[in-house]
Amino acid sequence: MPRHKKNDIAAPNQEFRHKETDAARADKQLRISLDDSARTPTMLYFASAVFWLLVGSLFGVMTSLKFNFPDWLGGDAVWTFGRIRPAHLNTIMYGWASLAGAGMIVWLTARLCRTPLQLGWLHYLAAILWNIGVLAGTIAILAGYSQGLEWLEFPTFAGALIAAGFLMFAASIAQTFRKRNVDHLYVSLWYIMASLLWFPLLYVVANLGIYQGVVEAAMNCWYGHNALATWFTPIGLAGAYYFIPKVIGRPIYSYYLGLIGFWAFALFYNWNGIHHLVGGPLPTWLVTVSIVASVMMVVPVMAVAVNHHLTTVNHFRMLRYSPTLRFVVVGSMCYTAVSFQGSLESIRSFQEVAHFTHYTIGHAHLGVYGFLSMILFGAMYYIVPRLAKWEWPSPRMIKLHFWSASMGILLYVVALTIGGWLQGLAMNDPATPFIEVVNLTKPYLWARSIGGTLMLLGHCVFAYQFFLVIKRAGPRRFAPALFREPAPMEGGISA
Amino acid sequence: MTLPLAALIVIIIALVAGALALSGFIWAIRTKQFSIQHLNKGAYLVFDESEPVGQSQDMIFRPAAEKSNGKSHAAS
Repeated sequence: MPRHKKNDIAAPNQEFRHKETDAARADKQLRISLDDSARTPTMLYFASAVFWLLVGSLFGVMTSLKFNFPDWLGGDAVWTFGRIRPAHLNTIMYGWASLAGAGMIVWLTARLCRTPLQLGWLHYLAAILWNIGVLAGTIAILAGYSQGLEWLEFPTFAGALIAAGFLMFAASIAQTFRKRNVDHLYVSLWYIMASLLWFPLLYVVANLGIYQGVVEAAMNCWYGHNALATWFTPIGLAGAYYFIPKVIGRPIYSYYLGLIGFWAFALFYNWNGIHHLVGGPLPTWLVTVSIVASVMMVVPVMAVAVNHHLTTVNHFRMLRYSPTLRFVVVGSMCYTAVSFQGSLESIRSFQEVAHFTHYTIGHAHLGVYGFLSMILFGAMYYIVPRLAKWEWPSPRMIKLHFWSASMGILLYVVALTIGGWLQGLAMNDPATPFIEVVNLTKPYLWARSIGGTLMLLGHCVFAYQFFLVIKRAGPRRFAPALFREPAPMEGGISA
Repeated sequence: MTLPLAALIVIIIALVAGALALSGFIWAIRTKQFSIQHLNKGAYLVFDESEPVGQSQDMIFRPAAEKSNGKSHAAS
């Protein structure tokens, strides 16, 4: 009888443990099947993105060097500043950032909807059209067929190819969302689905070709700022909201705050673009409304900053080990910085100095590189080994990539912020000859070129590593490629 | 006063966009996306039984069972 009793107690426990193991196994199998469904499209987008990253950053360094050597490559129209700079902007925005973001979205949507990727074949067509569009548009810009509107320089046929590719990409994501196996949408999914609604509308409206004069300028500023608002920022925030809690192993600090942040973001961000035209020939109320909305962006930015910081707090030691976490946390910190800077920059008295100076270029790079690209790098360090089934070959190379990228962007932003401000003050002084203003900026422009070159170096290292993973070459690892091995109490490593 | 065609097109698109945003918000209310139950479990959606809360996911790289063939390398 005592023996029987003992078995009665033991059996349910054993059964419970067994069920727990089964559930874990089932979840792991599901996750592997989801990753399998997204593997080829995601890797296709990532590989294209890495290619455009190299091309775009090469154009960027060439653009910067032209400030140091104005006559360099000046003999041929193709390589003049007016063509190389838009080629840099468009290859980075539509090539690198968009395609890497698309890859991350494909993988994240399958995982967060707990559904295999639907209509996956559409992504092959989408990637082909998108890449042809970026290639044709870049060649057209270099050949002198730019439309002359910032971030809309691609001719209509190239823009149409990208738009068609985007619609195919969006159709697959929307169908995956429709077939989802979860009731509640995680906050990353809110950002992803909203961007699929917002960005096509923005792109189509901006490319209607029905604007002239001042209205065209207003549309251009509205488009430029909203490309960040409706596409690039949602990508970055979706990644940060997923990878920070996932890597740390701790739920986001306040889920409520996350959703408040999303709706405040949706409400305020799309009004911001017109603050670029302070002092321009537009109705004053229109510019003022934009400035107010820009300052109100403090609300969603605070929500994101507080949430991410309080999720990471007490876990900062993990930044010593995890490449993904380090890139994503740096990106998230840059988001807070660039957003507060943006709110400040929209104010009229601030713009009196900073507008039309190198300060703005530093701000733009803090956003697109410090925030978005760093999060995309972090996302790729997490996703690629899981899809390629091959770990990153060298922690040392990841370290080199991180430090060259982060030191490069730090030098770039600090130099242009200081140099741009001094340039603005000097330009506002009517007693200062223009050539003196130019001479004043020279050291800062050298720092800009060095910063850009550091970033390009990091990209070359990253691309080489990516190539090795795709080829399954290099040293074969059976443990995660961390910056360093954590102490047993700290990391909970298991291989 | 006649409305320029460009303004008309943009206003129509803006109204469609606004309607879509409103319908998205109504859908969220109807499907109880903001209910206390949903919000309480929302933050845990990135975790599951095999990648639970409390376990750092970047610290794990599981070598494949079939190490010997040199081809498969399962990281999940």
